Amino acid sequence: MSETEKIFTVFEFVNSINNFLITQKAIVQGEIGEKISCYPNYNIFYLLDKEQEAMFKCFIWNNKLDALGVELKPGLEIKVGGFPELVKKRGDFTFHVEKIGLVGEGILKQAFEALKKKLFQAGFFDITRKKPLPRFCQKIGVITSQYGRGALPDFKKHLGGYGFQIYVYDARVEGLTAIDDITEAIRWLNENMPDIDVLVLVRGGGNWESLRAFNSEIVAKAIYSSKIPIICGVGHETDETIADYVSDVRASTPTDAARILSDPWRLVTAQINGFEKHLISSIIKLFKYVKEKAESFEKDLIFKFKSVLGSQNIKIDRLFQNLIRDKDYWVEQIKKILKQEEEKLGLSNPVLKLKQGYTMTVDELGQIIKDPAKLKISQTIKTKFYKGQIYSEVKRV
Amino acid sequence: MAEEKFNFTKAYQEIEEINKWFQKEDIDLDEALKKYKRGMELVKKCKERLQNTENTFEEIKQKYSREE
Repeated sequence: MSETEKIFTVFEFVNSINNFLITQKAIVQGEIGEKISCYPNYNIFYLLDKEQEAMFKCFIWNNKLDALGVELKPGLEIKVGGFPELVKKRGDFTFHVEKIGLVGEGILKQAFEALKKKLFQAGFFDITRKKPLPRFCQKIGVITSQYGRGALPDFKKHLGGYGFQIYVYDARVEGLTAIDDITEAIRWLNENMPDIDVLVLVRGGGNWESLRAFNSEIVAKAIYSSKIPIICGVGHETDETIADYVSDVRASTPTDAARILSDPWRLVTAQINGFEKHLISSIIKLFKYVKEKAESFEKDLIFKFKSVLGSQNIKIDRLFQNLIRDKDYWVEQIKKILKQEEEKLGLSNPVLKLKQGYTMTVDELGQIIKDPAKLKISQTIKTKFYKGQIYSEVKRV
Repeated sequence: MAEEKFNFTKAYQEIEEINKWFQKEDIDLDEALKKYKRGMELVKKCKERLQNTENTFEEIKQKYSREE
């Protein structure tokens, strides 16, 4: 051997090989072999290709297994994503599994039903824990694929123009990375944009396999723990996913999600105009009432003043002299009269009468009943009290 | 932005409350004038917000590495 040749130790060589192998990421589909070894923190199993007689060993941490939705079982058709490595201590070639998912509609349906039952029992679908949407949402975080054909364009198209601020977080919504992408999007938006009013998780319809992420426990938990309310709108109306059940508001489609957000704005324009009209008419009515009260008060005061003059039978100029001299006294007197008048007016107010314990009875048209002879048997009459009212039926007149 | 300070939901709720207040039987004139002024001011602001119909879009670029 020449001096320039590099000589590895076994340890160094394994490391060097692994440095290369770790870059060889791949997704492989196959069937789980007979022998599955479960350890407290990880599992070892074989992935088989029965038709072409090939296999390799797989290593997976327990926490990664959640994404599968069912237990590891021999014969299960799965997809694994990860990288190959050479295990130092044993010299074994192993596939290090980072992502795992089921293949095949039957088993996916089975996993769906099992998870639905589990989450239902854990209270994930309880209406009481669903977060209400703000009445008028303005800042919207949309989690979807920017490359999807339908979801995002449909959502945008039906949202209408109401000054929304829309933040689009691009996430894969199918394939093995979808679970991580969606979970990360929910986490990131909660952490970095907590003032967003609502998150909208949308995608087009699909088969069991393409909706896998929306039926995963990991995504369900992310939706459940989001502080920002989430609307979930997947595909066509018939598609039901776990994500739909856990979300705070379920939209049947991305279009429906857009409508849920724009409807309150659509309605409010007309309501605002109604409120404005009511405010104006209320204040006009109030002014009219005050003006009438002031006018009648003024007339009454002039009358009273004249009668005071008459009864005293004193010459006008002397009166004025006295008035000027006893200015303060008269001001006091006038104030007293004003106060008395005010009290009288107040007493004629029906509300005050009711307050004193009187009641008032009206017929169906709201006319005050002064003569019971005009009432008929079985007619309904309303008696107003200071606090509230009762309805009664005439039995005898 | 002035728009950010203005909270449409709160303003709209306040308008609703003011309208409810005006349906009472005993109304104090001073209070009524104050409420009317406030109500009209809020109506004006809400109407302004409703005229601002342009949506804005922003893509969130994430460093999160995607494998597949």
